[in-house]
Amino acid sequence: MEGYLLAVGVIALIYMLMTLGLNLHYGFTGLINFGHVGFFAVGAYTSAILAVHGVWLPLAFLAAVVLAALSAWPLGVLSLRLRIEYLAIVTLGFSEAVRLFIVNERWLTNGVQGIPGIPNLSEGLGLPMSATTTTFILLVLANLAAILVIHRIVKSPFGRAIEAIRDDEEALRALGKDPGSFKIRVFMLGAAFAGLGGAFYAHYITFVTPDQFLPLLTFYIWVAMILGGAGRVSGAAVGTLALVGFLEGSRFLRDIVPGVAEVEMASLRLGVVGLALILLVIYRPGGIMGDYSSR
Amino acid sequence: MSFGYLLNLAVNGAIEGSIIALGALALTLVFGIARFPNASAGDVITVGAYAGYGGQLASGGLMAAGVVSGMVGAAAISLAFYWFVFRKLAGRSAVYPLIASIGAAFLIRAAITFFLGHDQRVYDVPLTRAVAFGPVRVVPTDLYLAAGALAALAVVFALLHMTPLGRRMRAVADNPDLARAGGISARRVMTAMWLIAGAVSGLAGVLLGVKTVVMPEMGWDLLLPAFAATILGTIGNPVGAVVGGLLIGIAQELSTPFVGFTYKIGVGFLVLLLVLLVRPQGLFSGAERVR
Repeated sequence: MEGYLLAVGVIALIYMLMTLGLNLHYGFTGLINFGHVGFFAVGAYTSAILAVHGVWLPLAFLAAVVLAALSAWPLGVLSLRLRIEYLAIVTLGFSEAVRLFIVNERWLTNGVQGIPGIPNLSEGLGLPMSATTTTFILLVLANLAAILVIHRIVKSPFGRAIEAIRDDEEALRALGKDPGSFKIRVFMLGAAFAGLGGAFYAHYITFVTPDQFLPLLTFYIWVAMILGGAGRVSGAAVGTLALVGFLEGSRFLRDIVPGVAEVEMASLRLGVVGLALILLVIYRPGGIMGDYSSR
Repeated sequence: MSFGYLLNLAVNGAIEGSIIALGALALTLVFGIARFPNASAGDVITVGAYAGYGGQLASGGLMAAGVVSGMVGAAAISLAFYWFVFRKLAGRSAVYPLIASIGAAFLIRAAITFFLGHDQRVYDVPLTRAVAFGPVRVVPTDLYLAAGALAALAVVFALLHMTPLGRRMRAVADNPDLARAGGISARRVMTAMWLIAGAVSGLAGVLLGVKTVVMPEMGWDLLLPAFAATILGTIGNPVGAVVGGLLIGIAQELSTPFVGFTYKIGVGFLVLLLVLLVRPQGLFSGAERVR
């Protein structure tokens, strides 16, 4: 039971890292990123490929974070010129393009067969604890660091600027600030969080295939973010817990209710996520406990 | 690589492009009038394909029954989502209906995969031998597909430009406030628009199903090329959407000898990026102000 909770905790913390990144994009800055899973995939594959070739894990993680951030740079630049709806489509296309690349470039990614045998964190770092425990502890630290970074940003002049981008870009411009450079940096930082989450994921599951990086994951994170309240750090934790509770709960449901196959359960999960997105934007766009005053 | 080979690819691309054009037309109608990019359009296309398949099966193999039931089924879904979802989000930032449309897309696909599974289905179409026109060889079925798509496009254009309803729709697209001041009922226009967009999507689904296979992801996969076509042809401009669809279909096919078959769907994304970078207003802005 303890092992199970720890394993669920690892997944929850990976999702939370992604949610924090998406929150930085949408919740704080108002950038619509429908391609979050793309950055996650870049991080996962970068670290996996490097580690399989014998690169020291901390370096592989660093490369994953840097590459995920760099892959967000062109999108950040593009976001300056586009209306938000277009950015949504472009980022969605980006994540599909990443997946297409992974499927096609077999020499690098082994295509649809995926990369097996990725070293886990405890053997990679030579620690005596179990892989799950090591991953869990490191993920807690990573999330704390991410929250600290977000807190410092939000309380800084930079943070006030990015919130102003969300609320009134013209006013910010009238004050002589350039929203552009803020947007690009926020986009890269949020992507870096997702990339870090991806690296943790790859070394926890120890096996990556393109099928793990479908757009559905992006919208899991969207549900978690909106549920907890976009633009709130604590919301990311609440939303992620609700999301993982639902995903895990649906697995138990399958064990209890007879005659429901895993494919049907997958359809149900997809449907619940779809319904949640619809109901949230209609009735609770500020989250389940969100206030609407700051929007 | 002979000229004839490339010409064949281009013709094939144009046929695929005419299906993309239908999807793009549906997107551009919604974009122009309801003012958000409708990400559920792809899955409405899937509904059309399944409804058409069911209709053909139920009627004992009549293609016409398939076309009608595909269009009716997709139009019904489209209207239902307008009524229960998008109507309630009118007047809010485009972000909200956009997120809701993703939800709608998932909901539709969940229902399809839950009740019908992931099995691929094929329309009952007679196998025909390709006909040669000089260096170009075309399967007769493809000609019917292209003719069907073009006929539908002609009907929609006639509807938009020659009927009072079309005039009202264009008025709302052009300036909603002025249209309301002129006594045009926004709700009626919206209802008609979602019905037309749904029916067009349904036809796209049936044609795509006949050309390829019917499966749950078929419409979602068409979404990005259709968005690219919409933006290439200037958002809200139906003529542009159709031209954009054809261009993207041709570009996709012509790319296959160079980048391989699997990267073909990436071409739509590339075109989308290039257009947004070089000419975000699209090819047809100013030429004909429809929106």
